[in-house]
Amino acid sequence: MSEEKKQGVLNDLYKLLFAKHWPVWVGAILAGALNVLMFSISSPWSGSAAYSSWGKNFYKLINLFEFDAAQSILDSKWGMLGIMIVLGSFIAALLSKSFALRIPPVGELIKGFVGGSLMAIGATVGIGCSVGGFFSGVPALSGGAIALTIGLFIGTIVAVKYLFWEMENLPGVSTGKGYSFLGAAEGKGAWQKWTGFVVAVLLLVVAYFYFQTGQNVIAWFIIIGGLLGFISQRSIFCIVRAFREPFMSGDSDGAKGIIAGLLVVLFGFVAIKTMNIGAGDTLLRAREMSFVHNNFWLRGLLGGFVFGLGMTVAGGCAVGTLWRMGEGQIKLWVAALGFLLVSPISSKFIVPWIEGVIPFNMQFKNYLPDYLGYTGAVALVLAILFAWYWFVTWNEKTGKFSKF
Amino acid sequence: MENKIDQTLDCKGLSCPMPMMKLAKALKGLNSGDVLEMLGTDPGTKSDLPKWCDKTGNSIIREDELESGVFRFLILKK
Repeated sequence: MSEEKKQGVLNDLYKLLFAKHWPVWVGAILAGALNVLMFSISSPWSGSAAYSSWGKNFYKLINLFEFDAAQSILDSKWGMLGIMIVLGSFIAALLSKSFALRIPPVGELIKGFVGGSLMAIGATVGIGCSVGGFFSGVPALSGGAIALTIGLFIGTIVAVKYLFWEMENLPGVSTGKGYSFLGAAEGKGAWQKWTGFVVAVLLLVVAYFYFQTGQNVIAWFIIIGGLLGFISQRSIFCIVRAFREPFMSGDSDGAKGIIAGLLVVLFGFVAIKTMNIGAGDTLLRAREMSFVHNNFWLRGLLGGFVFGLGMTVAGGCAVGTLWRMGEGQIKLWVAALGFLLVSPISSKFIVPWIEGVIPFNMQFKNYLPDYLGYTGAVALVLAILFAWYWFVTWNEKTGKFSKF
Repeated sequence: MENKIDQTLDCKGLSCPMPMMKLAKALKGLNSGDVLEMLGTDPGTKSDLPKWCDKTGNSIIREDELESGVFRFLILKK
């Protein structure tokens, strides 16, 4: 093969991966497949667990709130997964020459912190976030996850109304001097590509080290985290966009993409659960009850509502915040700071109070197949997904609920 | 030839969804045939904007990459 042809092939591949964003459905299906892989080797994907791991380690470091027993981030598959999602996105942003440190006006930074804090409270109260509670929880056939999803929708709609109100009545919040550093102008910025390659190699070296020391699950989570960050950045895989856009621009691509991803996760999880694939005591139903928490129904609904408010105000859900950090969005760095600082405090002080206030019959484990059988539970989830698909398609055509 | 510009909207540093919200609001205040200059840095907005213009009938008449990751769109109001 001539040198010219070789270059042509590489150029075509580069353009395919980095010239434009991928369709959301491509990213969502890939993220869904990785979620199934994560469950098959250990546990379904959780987003909020990363912030919780980081936050506990921070308080352990400054010796506050008695988190001495917290597992080190280096030994935590969730703590490492979160870091690798940020790095994977950083790699994708660099290779596509779209990395820059983007600093918004102060009002937006405050919204980032408030949004991150609300996400922390929502995720700890509801036992799940946009990833663990929704993207993993619903396909895990958890009744509580469906309550949490309803809460996410209501919270998103309320927060969208707030954002429009804020634009009309407090326009100063999102106005002011914004800055951008280290970005690449057209035809320049080759350093970004090279840095991207170097960071990608470093990520693989870290994974190799974990394999060498026998920590295979974390090693795989490092690789999967890197891929998730990369895929999410390239496809704008963000759950808050899927929930929010029908009520803003009316665009349905985000929602349809997430629905496609959920279908992959649904069938993968059901196969793992029904066939009891992976370690776990069958008598205790360890695999079957994975990601079925005692949050049905009020606890899930309440937590989902607060999380929905938070992710919309922050402009990033649990995963959207992580990959936008990798892209250099400083607002989302501040959102992550709020999330990690408040998450352990909420677990320690707010959750015990909530557990005492909510009656037991409104915060129990509800595994849908126990009531509907596996066929009925899968049919229910498929019907919900179809209803969502129908709604966003109809809304995009009619503009009934969209604002602009 | 330099295009005429009726209003400039600075969205540098802002992340999704604020740039699109501000853009929609700014265009509402303009007349048909007016040109809005938008400066931004959010990569997502670069993908969202052409799609949204297709849907709403507004048109992008020019797109530039400026220094340090800043992009510039000139949008003609329908």
